[in-house]
Amino acid sequence: MLLNSLLLLAATAQASVLTLHAPRVTIYDSNGEGIRTEVLKLVEKPKIPLAVGLTDSLKLVFQIIEEGDTSGKGVQPLQTFLRFYDPETGEEGIQPLRVTPAGKSKFELNMAKPPLSIPPTTSTPLQVTLIIGAHKHTPLKIELFDLVLPESHPVAQHPDEASFHLLPAIHHTFRAPQKVPPRPISALFAALTLSPWAVLIALWIRSQVFPSVPHLFSPSILPFTASLGAFELLLFWYWVDLKLGQVLLYGGVLGVVTIFTGKTALASIGARRVARK
Amino acid sequence: MPPKSTPAVAEPTSAVQTLWKAYNEQTSDRLKFIDAFLVVLMLSGIVQFSYCVLVTTFPYNAFLSGFSSTVGQFVLTASLRSQVNPENKNEFKEVSPERAFADFVVGSIVLHFFVFNFLG
Repeated sequence: MLLNSLLLLAATAQASVLTLHAPRVTIYDSNGEGIRTEVLKLVEKPKIPLAVGLTDSLKLVFQIIEEGDTSGKGVQPLQTFLRFYDPETGEEGIQPLRVTPAGKSKFELNMAKPPLSIPPTTSTPLQVTLIIGAHKHTPLKIELFDLVLPESHPVAQHPDEASFHLLPAIHHTFRAPQKVPPRPISALFAALTLSPWAVLIALWIRSQVFPSVPHLFSPSILPFTASLGAFELLLFWYWVDLKLGQVLLYGGVLGVVTIFTGKTALASIGARRVARK
Repeated sequence: MPPKSTPAVAEPTSAVQTLWKAYNEQTSDRLKFIDAFLVVLMLSGIVQFSYCVLVTTFPYNAFLSGFSSTVGQFVLTASLRSQVNPENKNEFKEVSPERAFADFVVGSIVLHFFVFNFLG
């Protein structure tokens, strides 16, 4: 921990500081004649913001050197950027700069063809900052000047803009619930629908047509009737609870059982019928 | 026993009476047993249909499955009756009463499966 702190301290002490040599900004009109030239002081920005008109151009030149070096030998840093920032809208643009091995760099801004890095402008001046990053030197950030550019055109409305708004909430209209008949009528017709079964019992018993079933509980018949009953129960269970796949599976198994029981039962009945003849 | 001959100018009521009498006398108990079931199915279908016409069709799928179950069961039972009727022995030489009943059972199970499937 202590060693780390010492190493960091030593590195900071060794890192030399960069500065700019002869930073100058000039504004030219459409004929190429200089309108205004400012020698930048690094400690403070020019009091009057630089104004570049629609047909004007701006040229910024500087050389990056180590502080205190008078030999004129420049430094080529790893990264050099110009940052344009509009404090009102918060918009910013970053323009990378090319620096020669001698540390010299220049930036030209021609308003006839403004670079894409310029953010949308308002009447507020853009703050122009120079940011330098180098691995052997401490990073440098210098507020160069304020820049007044012609205001950008308002953003053209996208043809689909009208579609991108909150739509009114959707209100579902449900069909009115089905009318259920009054309870007495329902009860009456339920009784009427069930009444044929009473008629069936009456017809069978009163006209004495109910066949005698002496072998109903014999071991050959009972499994068949039981499996038929099981089928009806299975279908009722399907109505109440089961899914289609389940009822098909159970029905398949029960079907195999019913085939065997049915064959046995009907064969025994057939044998009795033939024997009676 | 051949049916009794009736006068050609008989009253309609007497024709019905004769028919009823002939039915009672000539039809075996087993066929009457099946006929009773057919009558009941018909009555049940009539009641369900009249409910649908007079009161409401809601729930329609329940009406359809109930009504079609009576119609389908009627058809199956009528075919069973025609196959086990001794009068039709010559027409269904290959079909024993047991085979006819087995067909009736299989048909009924399939019909009931569809009815319960549609009942909702």
